[in-house]
Amino acid sequence: MLGTWAARMRQRPVLPWFLWLGGLAALTVAFLPFRGHVDKLNVALTFLLVVLGGSAAGGRALGLTLAGTAYLDFHYFFVERYDSLVMAKPMDWLVLVAFLVTSLVAEQLLTRALERADVARLRAEEVERLAALGSETLHAGRAEDALSRILDVIRAELRVDRCDIIERGDISRRAEPWPDARTFVIPLVVRGRSVGLLRLTHSAPIALAPAQRRFVEVLSYYAALGLERVHLVAEAERADAFRQADALKSALIASLSHDLRTPLTTIKALASRLRVRALPEAASIEEEADRLNRLVTDLLDLSRLNAKAMPIRLELNTAEDLIGAAVQRVAGTVGSHRIVIVHPDDDDEPLAGEFDFVQSLRALVNLVENALKYSPAGAPVELSAARVGAHVEFRVADRGPGVAASERERVFEPFYRAPGVTADVGGAGLGLAIASRLAAEQGGAVRHEPRPGGGSIFTLSLCATDVTL
Amino acid sequence: MTGVGPPSRGTANPDDARTVLVIEDEQKIRDIVRDALCEPTDRWFDAGTGADGLALAIAERPDLIVLDLGLPDLDGLEVCRQLRAITTVPIVVLSARHTERDKVALLDAGADDYVTKPFGPHELQARVRAQLRRARMPAGPSDDQPLVIGELVVDIHRRTVTRGDSSVHLTPTEWSLLIALATNPGRTLTHEQLFDAVWGKSYGQPQQYLRVYITHLRKKIEVEPYAPKFIVTEPGVGYRFEVDR
Repeated sequence: MLGTWAARMRQRPVLPWFLWLGGLAALTVAFLPFRGHVDKLNVALTFLLVVLGGSAAGGRALGLTLAGTAYLDFHYFFVERYDSLVMAKPMDWLVLVAFLVTSLVAEQLLTRALERADVARLRAEEVERLAALGSETLHAGRAEDALSRILDVIRAELRVDRCDIIERGDISRRAEPWPDARTFVIPLVVRGRSVGLLRLTHSAPIALAPAQRRFVEVLSYYAALGLERVHLVAEAERADAFRQADALKSALIASLSHDLRTPLTTIKALASRLRVRALPEAASIEEEADRLNRLVTDLLDLSRLNAKAMPIRLELNTAEDLIGAAVQRVAGTVGSHRIVIVHPDDDDEPLAGEFDFVQSLRALVNLVENALKYSPAGAPVELSAARVGAHVEFRVADRGPGVAASERERVFEPFYRAPGVTADVGGAGLGLAIASRLAAEQGGAVRHEPRPGGGSIFTLSLCATDVTL
Repeated sequence: MTGVGPPSRGTANPDDARTVLVIEDEQKIRDIVRDALCEPTDRWFDAGTGADGLALAIAERPDLIVLDLGLPDLDGLEVCRQLRAITTVPIVVLSARHTERDKVALLDAGADDYVTKPFGPHELQARVRAQLRRARMPAGPSDDQPLVIGELVVDIHRRTVTRGDSSVHLTPTEWSLLIALATNPGRTLTHEQLFDAVWGKSYGQPQQYLRVYITHLRKKIEVEPYAPKFIVTEPGVGYRFEVDR
């Protein structure tokens, strides 16, 4: 209130002079008839109030003028030997000094108050602006919109032609001339990390007042936060896209297995109908359909393993159960071969391990099928299990051609095929690779070693456990 | 079995004539199933959707239901559950899903067996025959008639097991396990079902020892424990007592 009132007074300087000098004159006229009866000290005090009010309202010039005029007025009209300026007592000078000091102090206090009010007003405006900006950026739905709002505010407040952001990755790539009076660059820093630059561009050289500079610095922090939000949102969207791609991959694998297996069912059924009519090709159609199905299964498993999407359930299982299931699983493909299960006579306690039965079965079956594939006719494949340290080891021994020392590392690679082996042997070279990875998925391993007397021994090693019932 | 519906075995049919319902959306697969399973005397119904299948199951009282899992309108598992609520006849499921979790869910939903695609007609015939034979057997264990499976004789009434000429000594747990399996011949019991049958639901954590007990039991009743003929492992799903051998 006081501030605005004083400001209005300052804008129209004639009015206060007229008002206060007029007031002084009116007071003089009012006191004159009673000057014999009123203590002159009362008059002096009243005049002092006028000086104080005038100084406060009209500033230093009016204050000093009022002080001088009031003193002369007082001295001329109200000090004994009225209507003369002859000094009666030196104490009367004290009144002049009091008037002058009052005027100066009042003016000083007023100026200081006005300055404080101005600062407070500017602060209030700044806070209001930032609050508006904050709420606008918070309300802006997309992170990009919020950032562009901040840039709009900076551009409008500083009255520059352009305000844009150069992201960190782009800084080194852009070859624009920075050291130019028409561009102004502020680094954008969030939590001590630079995220980019804020660039102001104007047609004329940019000169920022300290207040503007402070404003830009504050707002550039908003811009930095906005930019970081853009980055975070982009990152979250990317992660979401990855998740969706993962789900899509799983769905694709599932639908692929369905879509590939349904026609295979039809093919197998048609082949079996042909076989009833004693067509010799029918059997090979069925075999090929089975082979295709195995290939589909292998490829799906390999992609599941690659995608780390193979479900593993570690449970207490026995080696006997696994071997039994493996023998049962390969029973259809043994053909003229034989599988001999070698087990100790004193196997009263089951050989137990902590492994995933389904995946371990697949690994063991792959090893047995591999051994059967390379075994010469009449030479049985030997299958055994034993506790070795902290592991249960399943050994599959064949009398096949063995693996050359130079190839030993490569036999577990996908699509590996021993040199000189015809495609007729069957399989796409995925069996050992899948077995090895399935074992590794549950903390086990598949090893190869040459068998004394010729052939290979593949060992599936899984975690053992002790069982007390 | 929790069938509460009307008796579903068609009593009007002679023994060799059956009513077969196939619920499968692919025409080609329907034809294959029909070729593989149907005798000329059989009554045959097929449905392309789960809803049609359920309606036919109620209206025609089939003796056998072959159900595909990938139906266009309903989840096959749900269809299986609803079928089981209205009938006790064998349900054999065709599935392109190969995971053991799917198989366990199917058996828990009341399916009797499942055949994974691609399957050959012979495999389907064998599975269906086994289920039909099982369905003809008297329900529940009979106390007075000992179970004879090959050279194995299980006398539930006298609690004895003999293999050939020699009697087999079983622990109480092994005995319960054998009874649970042998009274459901040809039917795959999930690990969970076996556990419930042997230990009940309230008993601690010996479920994980199920495989160990099975191994012990096999050593006592099987001729060759490493190549079991009676108790067959259904990997990742459970165990089945074979009667075909």
